[in-house]
Amino acid sequence: MISRLTVSERHLALFVLGALALAGLAMAVGGRGDPLAVHGVIVLAASLGLGFLVLSALFSPEPGESRLAEYYDDPTKAGIVLSLAWAVVGMFFGVWVAALLAWPELTFVDSAWASFGRIRPVHTSGVIFGFGGNALIATSFHVLQRTCRARLPDQFSPWFVLIGYNLFCVIAASGYLMGMTQSKEYAEPEWYADIWLVIVWVVYFLIYIRTLARRKEPHIYVANWYYMAFILVVAVLHIVNNLALPVSFGHAKSYSLFSGVQDAMTQWWYGHNAVAFFLTAGFLGMMYYYLPKRAERPIFSYRLSIISFWGITFMYMWAGAHHLHYTALPQWVQTLGMTFSVVLLVPSWASAGNALATLNGAWHKVRDDATLRFMMVAAVFYGLSTFEGSFMAIRAVNSLSHYTDWTVGHVHAGALGWVAMITFGSLYALVPWMWKQERMYSPKLIEVHFWLALAGTVVYVFAMWNSGIIQGLMWRTYNDSGTLAYSFIDSLVAMHPYYIARAFGGLLFLTGAVVCSYNVWMTIRMARVARVPAKGDVPLYGAAQAGE
Amino acid sequence: MKEFFHRRIERNAIGFVLAIVGVASIGGLVEIAPLFTIHETVEAAPDMRLYTPLELAGRNLYIREGCYACHSQMIRTLRDEVERYGPYSLAAESQYDHPMLWGSKRTGPDLARLGAKYSDAWHVAHLINPRDVVPESVMPRYGWLQRNPLRIDDLGEHLAAQRAVGVPYTDAMIENATADARGQANPEAAESSGVTERYGEATNVRVFDGNPSLVTEMDALVAYLQVLGQLTGAAHQETAGRQE
Amino acid sequence: MDIDHYSVVAFAKSWGLFYLIALAVGVTVYAFWPGNRKRFDRAKKSILDKDDRPGGENDGN
Ligand code: HEC
Repeated sequence: MISRLTVSERHLALFVLGALALAGLAMAVGGRGDPLAVHGVIVLAASLGLGFLVLSALFSPEPGESRLAEYYDDPTKAGIVLSLAWAVVGMFFGVWVAALLAWPELTFVDSAWASFGRIRPVHTSGVIFGFGGNALIATSFHVLQRTCRARLPDQFSPWFVLIGYNLFCVIAASGYLMGMTQSKEYAEPEWYADIWLVIVWVVYFLIYIRTLARRKEPHIYVANWYYMAFILVVAVLHIVNNLALPVSFGHAKSYSLFSGVQDAMTQWWYGHNAVAFFLTAGFLGMMYYYLPKRAERPIFSYRLSIISFWGITFMYMWAGAHHLHYTALPQWVQTLGMTFSVVLLVPSWASAGNALATLNGAWHKVRDDATLRFMMVAAVFYGLSTFEGSFMAIRAVNSLSHYTDWTVGHVHAGALGWVAMITFGSLYALVPWMWKQERMYSPKLIEVHFWLALAGTVVYVFAMWNSGIIQGLMWRTYNDSGTLAYSFIDSLVAMHPYYIARAFGGLLFLTGAVVCSYNVWMTIRMARVARVPAKGDVPLYGAAQAGE
Repeated sequence: MKEFFHRRIERNAIGFVLAIVGVASIGGLVEIAPLFTIHETVEAAPDMRLYTPLELAGRNLYIREGCYACHSQMIRTLRDEVERYGPYSLAAESQYDHPMLWGSKRTGPDLARLGAKYSDAWHVAHLINPRDVVPESVMPRYGWLQRNPLRIDDLGEHLAAQRAVGVPYTDAMIENATADARGQANPEAAESSGVTERYGEATNVRVFDGNPSLVTEMDALVAYLQVLGQLTGAAHQETAGRQE
Repeated sequence: MDIDHYSVVAFAKSWGLFYLIALAVGVTVYAFWPGNRKRFDRAKKSILDKDDRPGGENDGN
């Protein structure tokens, strides 16, 4: 792959890796006696390793001009593989933490790194940022080029984004195991990782803008709007919520600039909008491209997609306060948050409805094609979980659901049912196009994966609904004499069967992800074998249209 | 002409970017900006004391171990919560918490009013193996806290950073941070008198982990747990006021 | 001028509402503006065209 970079791109890569190696060295030296040093060593090792890789191909001949007549898909391919690797890792940790709540000794009890509080963020970051983020980056490069009919502006910056982003993920996950965390949910990585992500993100944004500027289509296709909103707003959220002062440049530890109420509001403004712009906007972008493509039908209503885009972009930002009902947050902010959360249902359902209406008339395809079915089910779960979300934002409901497993169930209805399903569907569509195959290695295995994923999601969500509602009710039940009927431990004991069921549901979902990885791997191998008697470089029009 | 055309398209994309950022930021600005003028309306807590260096170190361990993933520190204004856990939490109580640890999930009980509920020995036993004390518990074991010496040499830097983000630590507190940590965990030590001098008579000065010869991570965490909800009496007064 | 908490809140609430309405109107007008119809139709269909190579002004359809 490196020999496909131009010579000057190779030089640039070496230069950037050199700078990164120096930064790693500085961290390793400056952070002596602190876990920061370990991260310095990781950064140093990664940049040296990649540096050698580039050096090994430094003197390959300059690639021909013909490359410019083709889209640049190497980073997308790598992103797909990385995304699936993170899916398996992140979901494995998820099943592990789920199991720990049923069987708390199911770990290396004397090892700090393996305790619940440290591996839980490995799960959340692993699936959200590792799996989801890589899938977003990989698909966005693909969609961007196709909808603009323009090649990526250069070949170095997409690699910088992809590899830099994965370096961030590795720093984050390894940091949690060593106990480095800011404690802000979904924004746990410490200050230096946050700064690095900002750099990566700026380059990502520039790729987008530069490609858009080169586009051959007059109109920017709506999928790109969503990807853009994802990139831009995540940047704003990330920077604001992570404002913190490091104890010193030799410390990994930092203290948030905000405290108390302000910090809580900033955190949940971030937390909620990370859901909105990372886990919703980005994946809606995916949906608006891959679903019509796979179904071979244009999106039902383009106008509706525009209106719901602005609705989502505008209204989500107000909704974060619903995470803080009945707390020390001022009442008017709570009410505002609740109101917007309810109104948010309108653009959310408009998007879900738009997706389903697109499939109207193609139901036979949904029946026969598990890939399309993944996308269809994703749209359904998107509709369900946004409804549930609006419902849970109502103060009275929230008083029951907050702090309980119901929230966890809601998150997973969205994460498993919507985010993961639309991703798997899109990857199954994308992989054969990328590796120029007519179809995936095994359609049967896609079918198997579909049912594992669906069953896993349903088991998981039902278990958490039950446990959450029971928990919430037990905490507020009074007996006749007017005292609380149950101790906290009573509610804990009542959760046990549901925690087992949840771990089982998660295991099904993980198994599905493993099946998917195998299938993708075999498809790639198929492509390797087929490449030997080169059919020439003629792209398969049929494969690009895909479906049948 | 072609040049012009290209520039127009580019401007088009940039305008789009600005529109997204503009539209998306408003909600956050409207909701968050007023919170920065809120000190005018936050209940005053004149008796509020600061975390001692040892307690702050304990708080950092609470963060390091991810206790916040299972425990909230925010009692809502609901009758059952107040009866189960104590007076509901006030904004003032977390005004010096960088970051706040309100939490979002109660796999275990709320800890906002935990201080003085149990003995130090209970906490030590519970943290070493929760199931020794509460057989049904699913809380992890934290045996290493008892073994690991606490890093105290850099506590001054921690306090200085806290002051830089707005916590009113004095120069004397910053200078004596390391000594104060040692003193708070061992009343026999010469340094212990300075602790109450700087942080108030109510400060707990004890051997928290049962081992006076070493300041361990357990000392710090238990010192922190014992001070939860104890830094100000404002919440108790507020609730009493409401009931009249 | 002394900005107290309540005036910040009042400002936030009133302008927030005004802004919401203005935005809703703006977006609807944009979406239904007759002149935009052709672009949208084209955008909606064009992703289904052959897309194997960059450039290549597509033949529309
Ligand atoms: C996996 C979730 C989990 C994690 C992580 C966790 N706890 Fe707990 N904790 C519980 C549960 C469940 C209980 C209730 C059963 C019991 O008392 O052990 C509990 C109870 C407690 C209690 C007793 C509260 C009371 O009022 O009775 C304290 C104190 C406590 N935990 C402190 C901590 C500290 C400190 C940490 C981090 C070092 C921590 N917990 C991490 C789940 C957790």
